[in-house]
Amino acid sequence: MIKKTLLTTAAATALLAASPALADCTIKVGVLHSLSGSMAISETTLRDVMLMLIDGQNAKGGVLGCQLEAVVVDPASDWPLFAELTRQLLTVNEVDVIFGAWTSVSRKSLLPVLEELNGLFFYPVQYEGQESSRNVFYTGAAPNTQAIPAVDYFLEELGVESFALLGTDYVYPRTTNAILEAYLLGKGIAPEDIFVNYTPFGHADWSTIVSDVVALGAGGKQVGVISTINGDANIGFYTELAAQGVSADDIPVVAFSVGEEELSGLDTSRLVGHLAAWNYFMSLDTPENEAFIAAWHEFIGDTNRVTNDPMEAHYIGFNMWVNAVEAAGTTDVDAVREAMWGQEFPNLSGGMAVMNTNHHLSKPVLIGEIRADGQFDIISQTAEIPGAAWSPFLPESANLVSDWKELECGMFDTATNTCVQLTSNY
Amino acid sequence: MLRLPRLAAFAACLIALACFGAAPAAAQTPPASDSITPLQDVLQQVQPQVANPSRATVPQVLGALLAADAPGTVAFLRAWADREVYERPADGLFFFARDTANRNLMLVDIDTGAELAEVTSREVNQIRPNAGVRREIGAALVSFELLNPDPARRLAALENIARSPDSEQIEPLQAAFAIEEDNRISERMERLLDLLNARFATDTATRVDAIDGLSGDISTEARRILNQILQTRAEFAPEIPEGTNVARVRTPGVDMDLAAAYATLADAGLAPPHLGRNAIRDALRNNVVDGTVGGVPVHLLDNDERRREAYEALEAAGMVAPLVTEEDMRAAVAEYVFFDAYLEPDPAVTTAARASLDSTRTAISLWQFLSISLDAVSLASIFFLAAIGLAITFGVMRVINMAHGEFIMMGAYTGYVVQTVIPNYTTSLVVALPLAFAVTFAAGVAMERLVIRHLYTRPLETLLATFGISIALQQLAKNIFGTQARPLTAPDWLAGAIQVNDLVSVASIRVAIFAMALGFLVLLLFILNRTRLGLEVRAVTQNPGMAASMGINPDRINMLTFGLGSGIAGVAGVAIGLVAQVTSEMGANYIVQSFMTVVVGGVGSVFGTLAGATLIGALQKGIEWFNPTNTLAAQTYMVLFIILFIQFRPKGIVALKGRAAGD
Amino acid sequence: MSMDIPRQSLAPTKPPRRGFLRDNPSVLWFMGLLGLFTLGVTVLSEGMGIGMVSTNLVKILGMTLCLCLIAIAMDVVWGYCGILSLGHFAFFGLGGYAIGMWLMYARTEIVIRDSLGRGTIPPTPAEISEGVAAQIFGVVGSSELPLIWTFAGSLPFQLSMVVLVPGLLALVFGWLAFRSRVTGVYLSILTQAMTLALALYLFQNDTGLRGNNGLSGLQNIPGALDVPQSVLSVWFFWASALALGLGYMLFAWVVSGKFGSVIRAIRDNEARVRFLGYNVEGYKLFVFTITAIISGIAGALYYPQAGIINPAEIAPIASIYLAVWVAIGGRGRLYGAVIGAASVSLLSSWLTGGGAPNIDLGLYRIVWTDWWLVLLGLGFVAVTLFFPKGIGGLFDYLVRKS
Repeated sequence: MIKKTLLTTAAATALLAASPALADCTIKVGVLHSLSGSMAISETTLRDVMLMLIDGQNAKGGVLGCQLEAVVVDPASDWPLFAELTRQLLTVNEVDVIFGAWTSVSRKSLLPVLEELNGLFFYPVQYEGQESSRNVFYTGAAPNTQAIPAVDYFLEELGVESFALLGTDYVYPRTTNAILEAYLLGKGIAPEDIFVNYTPFGHADWSTIVSDVVALGAGGKQVGVISTINGDANIGFYTELAAQGVSADDIPVVAFSVGEEELSGLDTSRLVGHLAAWNYFMSLDTPENEAFIAAWHEFIGDTNRVTNDPMEAHYIGFNMWVNAVEAAGTTDVDAVREAMWGQEFPNLSGGMAVMNTNHHLSKPVLIGEIRADGQFDIISQTAEIPGAAWSPFLPESANLVSDWKELECGMFDTATNTCVQLTSNY
Repeated sequence: MLRLPRLAAFAACLIALACFGAAPAAAQTPPASDSITPLQDVLQQVQPQVANPSRATVPQVLGALLAADAPGTVAFLRAWADREVYERPADGLFFFARDTANRNLMLVDIDTGAELAEVTSREVNQIRPNAGVRREIGAALVSFELLNPDPARRLAALENIARSPDSEQIEPLQAAFAIEEDNRISERMERLLDLLNARFATDTATRVDAIDGLSGDISTEARRILNQILQTRAEFAPEIPEGTNVARVRTPGVDMDLAAAYATLADAGLAPPHLGRNAIRDALRNNVVDGTVGGVPVHLLDNDERRREAYEALEAAGMVAPLVTEEDMRAAVAEYVFFDAYLEPDPAVTTAARASLDSTRTAISLWQFLSISLDAVSLASIFFLAAIGLAITFGVMRVINMAHGEFIMMGAYTGYVVQTVIPNYTTSLVVALPLAFAVTFAAGVAMERLVIRHLYTRPLETLLATFGISIALQQLAKNIFGTQARPLTAPDWLAGAIQVNDLVSVASIRVAIFAMALGFLVLLLFILNRTRLGLEVRAVTQNPGMAASMGINPDRINMLTFGLGSGIAGVAGVAIGLVAQVTSEMGANYIVQSFMTVVVGGVGSVFGTLAGATLIGALQKGIEWFNPTNTLAAQTYMVLFIILFIQFRPKGIVALKGRAAGD
Repeated sequence: MSMDIPRQSLAPTKPPRRGFLRDNPSVLWFMGLLGLFTLGVTVLSEGMGIGMVSTNLVKILGMTLCLCLIAIAMDVVWGYCGILSLGHFAFFGLGGYAIGMWLMYARTEIVIRDSLGRGTIPPTPAEISEGVAAQIFGVVGSSELPLIWTFAGSLPFQLSMVVLVPGLLALVFGWLAFRSRVTGVYLSILTQAMTLALALYLFQNDTGLRGNNGLSGLQNIPGALDVPQSVLSVWFFWASALALGLGYMLFAWVVSGKFGSVIRAIRDNEARVRFLGYNVEGYKLFVFTITAIISGIAGALYYPQAGIINPAEIAPIASIYLAVWVAIGGRGRLYGAVIGAASVSLLSSWLTGGGAPNIDLGLYRIVWTDWWLVLLGLGFVAVTLFFPKGIGGLFDYLVRKS
């Protein structure tokens, strides 16, 4: 008993002795996720993951011997507020790195501020590509690490010849569909076999659109739906699919924005067999994933909470940043940026994620079928694919490459051999 | 017993790998037929294809397995398709498995059915053939499944045929049809035989007969078969070759893009490629000599004219490929005929198919019109439910209730809470509807007493005060239920659809909502026209002062009317939650549309609201019909139409007289 | 410094009657306070002064001044003329879009000219415009410049659009609505429908204004790309203060005198004014249009400070909030609108921005982000019920007492 107390005291003293040093060098990590407004549904979880990761790192002794301190702000799903709060984080709170954002428009909003003030930003969500900022590391999927492999799967494995591209009307679906349309035309799919529809956010009246898709079946070709429908609208869409009895055997639907979190608001028993493409599924059977889920459940105190792809992206991004800071020996943005190139960290799916010099990750692409319990059966897993910033399928970006190490440019035109611009197009 | 097959399997595996490396077709060579090879050994010959099934390789596997015909092959294929087969990576063997008590797997030998070993899920790979592979397996199993004693399996096999029709299915299907006793199934078989014959029969007469039989058939599968027969390919040739079944001849520049026609020629190497502007620029860039290109100084090359000049100079010097002008393109294209040819060589078949398909055109348009009309009715009934409560309160009290949408939301959340307490969906729905009415009725009465009563003389300010309540309620809902959309699940008997034919189907839940809207319409008309309360409400609507002097208590009537209007909103919330999502913002999505419904219809009239909802629903669907790719445009134009409509009929379709008519 | 400008501009806008300022002492008070405030912020700013006020705060304050400007416009149209417009944010947004188009186009053009100019062969005009289009619209999966961007490269043209587009829309809409004698609640709903239609229209990609994404990167001013944001923010702050000052003068002048009496009479009894022979529709149309134009100007100053404009900004809810500001501040008095807009929007961003400390009650923790809107809503109900004159009403009370 006495011994134990003594030990504790000794530990406490050691901690006290160390604490002045720690206090001197606190490293601040900005967390910029919406905690209110329409995107709070998705982003609040990512805030929690960041807090979990930071806690975990502090328990391991922090970074460079310093403790990490999370600076959490709430941009409230209000796009201009993302720019405002980024400026606040970088100039008032003076954070060393920011993890955050979900929608592309919020990222586009904060980019100018980030580039002006030379901040460091980690973006964890699958997105439409066509961007490579000096100051951003994209840990989510680019079209070629999510959408293109999923379409290949449709073409090769399911023999789909007639495509319905359904999306919510905003940047990600627009650009992704433009890329996919060009890709499909290149694969010999006729223009009349590509049906495109855009609906507003939160759209609820799906009966006509689902009927239109079903009617495509009369054309004599296998029909498949590629859904970039976002958020709440999926509930109405899948309910209508189920009501009209569209089975995955007749018309498979592959979704790029529907994961475990979104399905937790649905009765999935009637959606079994429909597909989703991600770089991570909670149902992955690996020791890393088991540990991650256990840590998450312990942190959040609820074993019913699911994990999803953007959470893995933050997990990889955060750990890479920690390793890069350790490697650079400083939190200086430029030094860390250079140390990030070539960083490797194990995926939760078993392989190794690599940060490339175009600031995108190499990750495997997984395709899962929805199960009755709201999880996914993984039916296809590729090797690691390096994310491409610029799509070769669109004429305006066909000649563009990004390489911050050799070319020192995120938008390099290989036809003219010039750097189009050093800042991003926002 | 165990070791021997494994060794053999190992050897077989090596052989198979070697074979596949050399020639994939080798796998299909039949094994020695005198002795029975165990299934495991057969499988090991195609090990990688079984372990990582893909649509491209599955025919090889099926060929090998069916050719070897080892015992248990069919059962294995079924299990394989149903994802019940496991591979052990250590030795590549396949097993069936069953779950054990401690979440491990007990491996089962596929030949003997003996339990072998308990393993964890990470020691074996569950093989998960995708839907494409499963379809192929299903098609391969058709001839076995068609004779299955279980009618459900036979029907499933028929659906497999419908999904991936194949010429080889005709024979087993005919055989099965001959002995089928179940009427329903034999009818389905007959039809599928027709479809298969139309597509695959070998003699023209049978095919044309079958195709003629499909004339006037609007079902998707019939039209799919006909469209498949009518598939074409774009071709070109100096002249149309003998025996080509031409669908259509195209004239470049008229019904075909000239540049596209020329590009096909250029791609085939029959003409020099047409250079775009970028190609010219690139050619110039490669020929800069001492700051000039073809005699033109580089800095002057900032317009197309000078660039062309420079290019022509280079061309004259023979340094670049000649420019292709539009005349050149015309001339080159004129040497060829561009046409679409049917893949089907027999003109009699394609003519019959075309005639059959054309015969359905009118019927299809009519059915599609009916379908979209039903959608419009469904949408209108939702709008009606959402707006009718607003119409009543607005009509009787001239109060715009901005919090009406939040009452819809409260109703929906009431439904959600009831579902979390009562797991049975039917019972919970039965409880939720009256409860939602009660909850929102109470909320409405409370709001009327506490806020609106004090603002009767200031209608614009009620609008603002109720807006304040609306944002407070919305945020409260967020604080209580979170921002995540909550499920409100319909019971199974409402989950399907009423299928008229392949073109017209209505989700049952939408029919139920329509019935509910109809019910409320009748109920309201009854209350307003046949009850004491209704009489009093109408009296207050027309002249509150006079009504008061006749002994009616306008305060009480206002309160009850407001409660009634809010209560209906709550019930509408449950209904809307069943087709869409329950979120704290769902009310806000409906409020503006509800206002417009009321205003377009004419304030304070039940029939007016009905007319408004019908007009808006029909309009939205009508615009969507013309522009199916952009739902947002439909909504925009609808709102614009409403703005214009109000300009010309400011009092709405059904204009009331009395207090509701205002000034 | 910016204070001098409104004073000088007094000369040309010299009121027709003598003693405009004497009749309206509040205008002098307001101008004085605005001038002091501007001076104070400049001196404390990072870009020009001692750096006590961060660039971020300068931007927030500058944007708040723009919101105050649209709030006084709203006050004139609602508090003085009795038209409860739930669509004035549409005009605000249109002004922002008009200037945003120039900001985006001109900045991108500089980038493209620079990039293409480094090639061996100088670019043609078509190549430049294609390059600009690919940059701006590549984000939304297109690469063609829509027709409405034809003159986006011209600052004078887009500046005139800032005034013309909101003005014409208000003129046409107002003419249609007032001509049909749409009044009261109907008119409110109709204006709400207008802003909803516009928001839905802008949400579409086919509109050519980048749909949901809107226009971004507006804080980078072409021609001043080397000027640091800390300085730019002060410039825009001055411009906003100047606009607010001029707008306040203009509206104070409009609502005083005979014109003001007529529009107040229209608010109180439209029919009677009509019977007296006034062209009621003409008055209403004038007020509606002039306030729309001022709203457009406010928007054109606001969005370069915010950095991004997208259709969500002009959703119907924004215009309702505008009415809330004016109601809380006090209708029928211009300074009331300013007080309402400034206090509610600043309070709102303080409380939702995590600036306010959360209160731990032991059993329950009050998180301001969660409860602010509930509080605002209920507070708003209370103001409507018990203080119809808003915060501005307190001034009456004080003046009468003293």
